Amino acid sequence: MASSPPIPRPHPAGPLAGYRVLDLADEKGQLCARILGELGADVIKIEPRDGDPTRQNGPFFKGEQSPNMSLFWWAMNAGKRSVTCELRLEPGRELFRKLVTQADFVIETSVPGEMAALGLDYASLKKLNPGLVMVSITNFGQTGPYSRWAATDIVGSAMGGQMYLNGDPERGPLRTTAPQAYAQVNFQGAVGAMTALYARGVNDGLGQQVDVSMQEAMCVAMDNTQPIWDIRRINTSGPGIRRNNAGVLGSRYLFETADGWVAALGVGGLIGPGANAIIDWLAESGEARGLDSADWRARLTALVPLPPDEVAFVEETLAAFCGSRKKEDLVGEAQRRGAGWAPVFSPREVVESKQLAGRDYWVRVHHEDLGESFIYPGAPFKLGQTPWQQRGRAPHAGEHNEQVYGELLGIDSQELRRLKMRMVV
Amino acid sequence: MPGLKKPFEGLRVADFAWVGVGPLVSKYLADHGAEVIRIESMTYPETLRRVGPFVDDTPGVDNSGYYANFNSSKLCMSVDLKHARGPELVKRLIAKCDVVTESFTPGTMARFGLDYASLRQVRPDLVMISMPLYGQTGPWADYMGYGHVLQAAAGINHLTGWPDGPPIGTGVAYTDFLVPHLAATALIAALDYRRRTGVGQYIDFGQMEAAVHGLGTALLDWTVNGHEQMRMGNRDPEAAPHGCYRCRDGRYLVIGCATEKHWEAFKAALGRPEWCDLERMRRRWQRLNEQHEIDRHIQAWLDAVTVDPSRPEEVVEDAPDVPADWRFTTDEVLAHFQKFGVPAGVVQSPEAMRADPQLAHRGHYWFLEHPTMGLRCYDGPAFRLSETPAVLSKAAPLLGEDNEYVYRELIGLAEEEFIELLADGAME
Repeated sequence: MASSPPIPRPHPAGPLAGYRVLDLADEKGQLCARILGELGADVIKIEPRDGDPTRQNGPFFKGEQSPNMSLFWWAMNAGKRSVTCELRLEPGRELFRKLVTQADFVIETSVPGEMAALGLDYASLKKLNPGLVMVSITNFGQTGPYSRWAATDIVGSAMGGQMYLNGDPERGPLRTTAPQAYAQVNFQGAVGAMTALYARGVNDGLGQQVDVSMQEAMCVAMDNTQPIWDIRRINTSGPGIRRNNAGVLGSRYLFETADGWVAALGVGGLIGPGANAIIDWLAESGEARGLDSADWRARLTALVPLPPDEVAFVEETLAAFCGSRKKEDLVGEAQRRGAGWAPVFSPREVVESKQLAGRDYWVRVHHEDLGESFIYPGAPFKLGQTPWQQRGRAPHAGEHNEQVYGELLGIDSQELRRLKMRMVV
Repeated sequence: MPGLKKPFEGLRVADFAWVGVGPLVSKYLADHGAEVIRIESMTYPETLRRVGPFVDDTPGVDNSGYYANFNSSKLCMSVDLKHARGPELVKRLIAKCDVVTESFTPGTMARFGLDYASLRQVRPDLVMISMPLYGQTGPWADYMGYGHVLQAAAGINHLTGWPDGPPIGTGVAYTDFLVPHLAATALIAALDYRRRTGVGQYIDFGQMEAAVHGLGTALLDWTVNGHEQMRMGNRDPEAAPHGCYRCRDGRYLVIGCATEKHWEAFKAALGRPEWCDLERMRRRWQRLNEQHEIDRHIQAWLDAVTVDPSRPEEVVEDAPDVPADWRFTTDEVLAHFQKFGVPAGVVQSPEAMRADPQLAHRGHYWFLEHPTMGLRCYDGPAFRLSETPAVLSKAAPLLGEDNEYVYRELIGLAEEEFIELLADGAME
């Protein structure tokens, strides 16, 4: 028992070193807290005695459904400390309040009103710690007609507009399978937290509550479609493999290759002012199908829309060209010729990407509890002076009880045992 | 609150960034009180100024709603960096700035003598962030593109679409609206470090490296389990029921039940039809195998209970057994599900969002008067600070609108020199 837990790895060089975060969050805020930790903050995950509910979220390591094997838990909580603390019991709330006096941030995602019912809302906590930044991340915001509505990722994606823009005309709206409303609201929470932190610094240490809405996080991810409605009264909707230009389906941007797909905006640039570069490429390969004639070149480079049958012919030509080649070869050559193509990568291909390897992106995280180490995504930004750092694996529930309660609150092992017996920790 | 400073009040930002990512990073700073100066060219106007929607369908650099929405609360100066005096003038401005942001192809700033090593000579505590697609180094450092293709390279396309269909992506330049938040987080963290220590720094931000942090569990599922996640339409690998269903008025309802509690609420909302109590529906992992049947039941139920207000007499044959007075509009059926605590929503169009009472309550949309575009709608941020909330202080700037202020007051040119440079094309 005496040996201290192997995680988190210390990170005194991070820009947020010296700040402390209490993390009460679910899917909407755990990644936000993790990012603050990787910037140097001491992040303490607060879990109920039987472990945080998101430990039940799949997928699981080798399919083994148990609380320390959730890859969701690993991904969102890597490098945090964990204490158990039963907030439904007054002694648990008392422990939490004491921790709050030593914290800079609380990140929480409860339904508005729940924290107040526990006496742990911002109004109560700021009396204990006026410098506290309380990041409250919810489905729709702290107040308003939908503030108590239930939501998971797909609800945020629908109510926040993304699903309307996504999808295709035949099959209707679509959600991205990797949950984007959760990703977005976590990242927005981090910006809000940093903004409030900076404000605290210039306002004599005054903290505040940051009220973050998942719906609103999706609202600001709508590209130019809200101005299109505002100015032209057109609703832009899911274009499938094409692009939607203010309600008009544009030319294809996705083409199948010999080994997958490639993203090549506006038929790879074959229709547009830079078309000659692509026409030359097709012609050099003997696959231009006549598009290299002076007449076609003039029409393809003019900014005048082509009739549908001609667009179809151009798209077929590029589809045939791409279909017999590999995506990374296509992208390399297109880029050499000045066209901004990219390959469609699967998760495996992202991990195998030459670019990310060339940037020394991936980190290997040791799970001494399993006797194995695994590849995790690396720095989302490279800060020159105060680097990002991965802090190690995700904690087991209560792994840091002795350390945190002992060092921060001066609770000795005897008292901790008493708290255990009273089902507080 | 009176007497409080806005979060970034007193900070000045020289913003060379363009299109989506960079302007959205500096929008956070501008809307929270920083003086952000967009540094633009008249010869090669910022891409978004040339992309619509345009007011009255009239293209013009001061007429784009696309540009406007991302550039609230900012100032704009114009400069020709290829003019003999361009880089020097800009450098004099940067000596009075706290932050430089840019998103050019790596090497571009250095060509004008405006790389970090040069700029810290004139401003030692400068915080500078560069944010091209793929970062400053690596084999793809010079690759071009933007969010529409980066979403493909970052794995978003692969995970968006129907399982039997192509990797269609999100319909928008998606990563442009995902990665600015991480860039802003790093930038503000660096600013807070500088506030406490006086030390500035350079941030090498590669958009792809940030974007892949938005893939949920997909990366670890591959690196740990060797399992490649796949696009699943509107289903979810971990939750059922989970989908998007058409209501009788043509709008779509979504339901996403992640927990047993959600499932119990869902059963109650449906009126406990028999199929819900089948043994093979009992546990989440069982229901994941029954999604085809679940979707069929939900669609039939919605066909029976929802109405199209424009065709109220329409009746469904073979309707499931639901109480005769259960006839709902789409909004009512959503409220019905929510009353029981079911995670449910409707797929909202841009138009619907403008009319959304929750967003109105939040004051999400701001209406700002622009000199040429008139009163236009702008997005506020997704978060509210209780004491120092965002204030969208003005509409987007006209191209070169603040030249006189920037060149005369900040750079310190005398009137004569200002006019000379203007005449000589330095501000083109």
